[in-house]
Amino acid sequence: MELIYGLVTGILFGFLMQKAQVIRYDKQVGAMRLVDFTIFKFMLSAIIVGMIGIYFLKDFGIVSLDVKSTSLGANIIGGLMFGIGWALAGYCPGTAAGALGEGRWDALIVILGMMAGAALYAEAYPAMKSSILTWGNYGKITLSSILGWNHWVVIVVLSIIYVGLFYLFEKKNV
Amino acid sequence: MNVLIRKTWSPYLAGAVAGLVLCLSVLIAGKYFGASTTYVRSAGLLEKVVASKHVAKSSYFMRTKLKVDWQMLFVVGVILGSFASAQMSRDFTAVAIPSMWKRRFGTNKAKRFLVAFLGGVIALFGARMAGG
Repeated sequence: MELIYGLVTGILFGFLMQKAQVIRYDKQVGAMRLVDFTIFKFMLSAIIVGMIGIYFLKDFGIVSLDVKSTSLGANIIGGLMFGIGWALAGYCPGTAAGALGEGRWDALIVILGMMAGAALYAEAYPAMKSSILTWGNYGKITLSSILGWNHWVVIVVLSIIYVGLFYLFEKKNV
Repeated sequence: MNVLIRKTWSPYLAGAVAGLVLCLSVLIAGKYFGASTTYVRSAGLLEKVVASKHVAKSSYFMRTKLKVDWQMLFVVGVILGSFASAQMSRDFTAVAIPSMWKRRFGTNKAKRFLVAFLGGVIALFGARMAGG
């Protein structure tokens, strides 16, 4: 059953990403070059609905949300590497799959590269486990816990900022 | 049904619906969206075919648990969903080199594929390090 849920959810998400055109190299590299904001529009819209929905369900105790630990060493170094790799590949792990679905063959090469990167990470993991991955470990923090604000205040503030960005995107027609 | 064969939807609308699909997925199946662990699992499962002892000794592959799971089917679903959408709107085109790349770096496939592969290696290594 779990597998069927995964397949159906993936089909819906892949369908939506293709319709929004966010799985294209030109849109992703365009976002990084700040010339095309389609991806920002898609992601920030998903985040607004997602954060309101998930926290609503969580407050009623219907779903659980397990935040990952913040480790500055791992997050900063890993994040920089991810950005460089994403810019070179033009696809992220999820969009590479979607891009392959709409016929972009270079995405298949990216997928093979990502599998090689995963195998390489498995080799490097023992050496990093007690070094980089532990640097600047802050545990499971959130914006709400750092600022000491109720999570709904954070959600409202972020939503206002995102909608403000949407207004700018449309005004500048990007 | 005519909306399904349209080539583009507003990214705001498609994004908002994607957020709704995420909420339903968490509510019904208890699953948040992700893709990068699937690359670890498929790399480990492939590596197991050629070097099963080496994989069995790998602490990373062992803690990731090499099996076909929700997320692997989610990634397969993304390929199928994108394929279905592209087919319905007659937007499916087999292309090897993205147009933005072509304008800047030309039509050499080997060059594009080399950078695509290296980019994939670096991106996934970084993603795993950062917890993605």
